[in-house]
Amino acid sequence: MNGISKRFPGVVALDGVTIEVRRGEVHAICGENGAGKSTLMKILSGVYQPDDGTLLVAGREVRFAGTQNAEAAGIAIIHQELALVEDLSVAANVFLGREKRGTLRLIDDAAMEAECRRLFALLECQVSPQERTGNLRVGDQQLVEIAKALSLEASIVVMDEPTSALTEAESARLERTIARLVEGGATILYISHKMEEVFRLADRITVLRDGRHVCTVDRAATSPREVTAWMVGREIATEGFRNPRHAGKKLLEVQSLTLPWPEHPRGYRLADVSLNLHAGEILGIAGLMGAGRTELLETLFGAGGPTWTGTIRLHGKPVRFSHPREACAAGMALVTEDRKRLGLFPDLDVAGNVSLCSLDQALRGWLVSRSAEEELVAGPVRATGVKTPGLHAAITGLSGGNQQKCIISRWLLTNPEILLLDDPTRGIDVGAKAELYALIDRLCREGLGVILTSSELPELLTLADRIIVLAEGRVTGEFARHEATEAGIMEAATAG
Amino acid sequence: MPSSVPPASTRPAPAPLRRSTIFGLRRGEWALVVAICLAVLLTGLVDANHSYFNQPLECLRDIARNTALLGIFALGATVVIIAGGIDLSAGSMIALSGTICATTMLALAPAQMMGFKPVGPLVVALAVAASLLTGFLVGTLHAWLITAVRLPPFIATLATLVGLRSFARALCESTTSAFTPTKSATINVADPLFKTIRDNVSIPVAVFCVLAFITWLLLTRTVLGRHLQALGGNEQAARLAGIRTENVKWFAYCFGAMTAALAGLFYVANESVAAPVNQGRGHELNAIAAAVVGGCSLAGGVGTVPGTVLGAIFLRVVIDAVSKLIKTGADVYEGLIVGVVVVIAVTFSQLGQIASGGRHLLPGRLGLCAIPTLALLAGGVVSMTAGRSAGLAAGAATITLLGLLRVWESRRTA
Repeated sequence: MNGISKRFPGVVALDGVTIEVRRGEVHAICGENGAGKSTLMKILSGVYQPDDGTLLVAGREVRFAGTQNAEAAGIAIIHQELALVEDLSVAANVFLGREKRGTLRLIDDAAMEAECRRLFALLECQVSPQERTGNLRVGDQQLVEIAKALSLEASIVVMDEPTSALTEAESARLERTIARLVEGGATILYISHKMEEVFRLADRITVLRDGRHVCTVDRAATSPREVTAWMVGREIATEGFRNPRHAGKKLLEVQSLTLPWPEHPRGYRLADVSLNLHAGEILGIAGLMGAGRTELLETLFGAGGPTWTGTIRLHGKPVRFSHPREACAAGMALVTEDRKRLGLFPDLDVAGNVSLCSLDQALRGWLVSRSAEEELVAGPVRATGVKTPGLHAAITGLSGGNQQKCIISRWLLTNPEILLLDDPTRGIDVGAKAELYALIDRLCREGLGVILTSSELPELLTLADRIIVLAEGRVTGEFARHEATEAGIMEAATAG
Repeated sequence: MPSSVPPASTRPAPAPLRRSTIFGLRRGEWALVVAICLAVLLTGLVDANHSYFNQPLECLRDIARNTALLGIFALGATVVIIAGGIDLSAGSMIALSGTICATTMLALAPAQMMGFKPVGPLVVALAVAASLLTGFLVGTLHAWLITAVRLPPFIATLATLVGLRSFARALCESTTSAFTPTKSATINVADPLFKTIRDNVSIPVAVFCVLAFITWLLLTRTVLGRHLQALGGNEQAARLAGIRTENVKWFAYCFGAMTAALAGLFYVANESVAAPVNQGRGHELNAIAAAVVGGCSLAGGVGTVPGTVLGAIFLRVVIDAVSKLIKTGADVYEGLIVGVVVVIAVTFSQLGQIASGGRHLLPGRLGLCAIPTLALLAGGVVSMTAGRSAGLAAGAATITLLGLLRVWESRRTA
């Protein structure tokens, strides 16, 4: 891989990355969320095309227009989100798109199942090839993906955080499988941020940060601590929020919150989470993807289903919201993680998106008054600094940062005391981020209690007064502002 | 780009509208107005009897009645579709509503009903109330199946589509066998109130207009209307914004079923009979077609009342035009017309996208096979209505035109 760049609107996901992978090695690629690992792998497997740079496989330049080209070149990828058709049998998934044909060009299930069984024997997998794939546990589904890679006789197998959903025993089995693949002459690209695993498996380690290549080293020549430092080692933007905020009275108290997850081997999404939030304070929640940040906020907001146990106290009184509306009425607001999927209404204009939760305030008699709605909306839109060509402009025409400000405006209109922000700056460019930071800081100083999750540590270190670290649904660390460091948080977050 | 625009948000007065409207109508809706005028004009000219010029009032009355009847439950379909759902049961709801009305009257005043005598306003009022109440109950059933049992709306209303008609027939037969000497699948309704409605086209038209105005107010000026749009646009986000999505859906499906129930009463009046086997059969698709032609998106969140009203008018005008041009048996072609109008209207609304996005209408092998398919369809229809030679000519013309389109498309990308 030579000088690979990939740009998305507003973000440079990869910036001139060059990595050389040797035949027959296990090459680990490490980096924080958003460092560009997954983008790189998607380019390698033909899902994305690079804007710049070239891919060389065995010395020859290749260009992949789609995953099938990559597969033809001997590259198989096992995605973080599994890409299986749940309603088809295991064997049908392994051979999807390359079905074996028998007499009369009919599908030859028997041959595929036999081949599948052979592959599964190699992988120590006890699953019947006729089983419906959706009935399999995640660990076994992953083995189906690996069997697919094996059946392609891929010379390069890319694994994108394969153990994130596995139990210990399944992880151990995966490690044995990897050893076996390498014995068979395959090259493995292994993406992970679990240091322990990386150091057990990899021959060489490449670290990416902010879309750039930091270094590639032999495992023997480095240490987990050093790699973690490379992963996070960047200037922290400390933009004058340092003058201390003054925490007021206690707003929210959560004690041993547990959210079960019956269909997962771990059994829980959240276990025994306790925290406090005061007025005028920003509580940061750090954690890797899947650590339970979103689940925590949704449970607090009454949107996570009724199965949780533990106590949530608001102003000292225990509450149990069964619908976001109740949380909203009690003075809570949630700015959701995935703006497009969970926050925006693409068919409503800017005013409609902002006024949605408080349209009652614009009623004149039974009817919504257009002018009252505009008046209502104009206040917070101005206060949050939304840049829009007009209140009735299409929300989809605004930039990500301005859309996010609209959603924050929506919730400010409900006069909340507690603002839950779930990764509010994801997919937003740097300038807009700074504006959002200033806005969040100001709201907090005006007396709001803010819980902020982020996949970017510098963001938490800039904004939060205290930081709680989640790893696999448990609290693995709590830091006051002065004692928090990226390395310390990262260590706690990868403790799982 | 947005960042270079000065913060104009502080002055909401000159705010540009999201979708530009001219005299309150959007571009697609103006296109419908033009299409309606064109269709009327063309029919008037081509029709051998020139009935649009010679008997304008009678023709207008016909179209107005049919449009009002279709429009009433098309408005219901619009609300359901905007809320992101679909109601396939409207036709059966029409049949059930008529049956409930007639059986109520039969049960309350059997002697008068059998003697074709007036049953009195109180009985009629009770019967109408019972029908509308049935609409509410059916809507509640739909909402329960969809939000609590979690059936997809398509499945839930497909079940009631088949189920309600059968239920209506059973009800009709058991009521007639209980109150009259013979079991029957139809009940004649001869009350003068219903006759007045039949003879006076302004009543259904007035009801339609009032209902359209109420629906328009609901969708554009009430909190509930905004929540309907939000629900259809992004259900998960609506829930997370604190909207009780189940209740909004409940309203939408009740509105859909109750408008169908109202239409059912007019069908009974029109035909002087409640006939659960055939009344309103297939009409749910006409309602959905009117909404879609009027600009509703089946994905939810998008749609307007003026659009649906114009869509209903356009559908009825085209159907009427065909019946004027084909003297006998034009009703055979009603389904065909609805189908063709929907396809053409929706294709038309995407023309800009097709042209600018470089999308092909006839791509690859599929496009190649589509050409003779469309030619056969066109040729077949024309030869059945206008004779064999005209059919051949139409088929040949279709092949030629589509062939040229295909050549042009492949040239453009090459």
